Amino acid sequence: MAIINQATKELQVKIVYYGPAKSGKTTNLEQVHSNVQVPNAASKGKMTSLATSSDRTLFFDFFPLEAVAIKGFKTKFALFTVPGQVIYNATRQIVLRGVDGIVFVADSQYDKMEENIETFKHLEDNLKTLNLNIEEIPYVMQYNKRDLPEVAPVEYLDFLLNNRDVQVPSFEASASNCQGVFETLNMITRMLLHKFLNDGVRK
Amino acid sequence: MGQFPQLNQEDLDHFEAAMQELLAKSEAHVALLVEKAGYLIHQCGKPDSIDTTTFATLGSNAYNAVQFMAQLVNENNFTSMYQQGENFSTLMVNVDENSLLVIVFPTHLTVGSMKYYANPAARLLADRIQVASGRTPGQGLDLSDLDPTDVQTLFQKKETP
Repeated sequence: MAIINQATKELQVKIVYYGPAKSGKTTNLEQVHSNVQVPNAASKGKMTSLATSSDRTLFFDFFPLEAVAIKGFKTKFALFTVPGQVIYNATRQIVLRGVDGIVFVADSQYDKMEENIETFKHLEDNLKTLNLNIEEIPYVMQYNKRDLPEVAPVEYLDFLLNNRDVQVPSFEASASNCQGVFETLNMITRMLLHKFLNDGVRK
Repeated sequence: MGQFPQLNQEDLDHFEAAMQELLAKSEAHVALLVEKAGYLIHQCGKPDSIDTTTFATLGSNAYNAVQFMAQLVNENNFTSMYQQGENFSTLMVNVDENSLLVIVFPTHLTVGSMKYYANPAARLLADRIQVASGRTPGQGLDLSDLDPTDVQTLFQKKETP
């Protein structure tokens, strides 16, 4: 959970990009890292990727990003991805520890629907293992790869993945072209701040 | 899993004192207090060219991975983790449920001596974290007069030339 340091006036928040293999989680982070406007070089940390020799995420990708000060607090976001492959489910649990907000990156291609659903189920299960509940954590859906042929309509993706009492915000994206990437990130950060605000005094 | 408490200057002064004493006695180069979700809480020593933010994140996740391994063999006592290098080594020691102490030290120093000094330092840090937890449990950042629409585009994309 977020860290508040009154002494140094810092708020640290953890956002995890979660989704099936090759859905574009790492690409999201790479695009934010390459394209985000920062007031100075120190605001953006180095991107660290623990990947296999074939560039598949083995443990996680990570980079720290500092935003404008909010009420005098320097706000630091730690952006993570998890490995998409099911065999690395244990490491997904480790990366989810202390998560504040989640971006679920779904692959919009028709033949990936089963993987999307299965991965979302794993997310819920992994959160339960950490005594967390998906309903209590701000999250958004990103329907990625909209630039490819054979993609499912957004309504269908919403029906499969976002069919709850309260629908969460969803974004169409083509992360490889940096489309929808910043919209997604800004929404999850906004939802996180809303959550702090609604909690008033955070428990 | 409890919440890491809010810290004030007095807490940081206590951390600083405990970690400086550790460095002075052990001759280690760097000590980091790290929250297990990956946040760097406090650092002491001479990090020189070390990216301590990344180091803290990698350290905490590696430590968490080892805890996961411990569960698989029904072991509750994987309380530290040591990596030896050619020039520098690292030792990670559990502080409490939510945090750990990461130490970087020259390889000519022994891990035994490092543990000898690290364990009391970890206890001092844990004690202070407990004090901070008991001071204002549950109190967080008051954003009650913040308008979220003011921060809806917190991150902006660079304009293409």
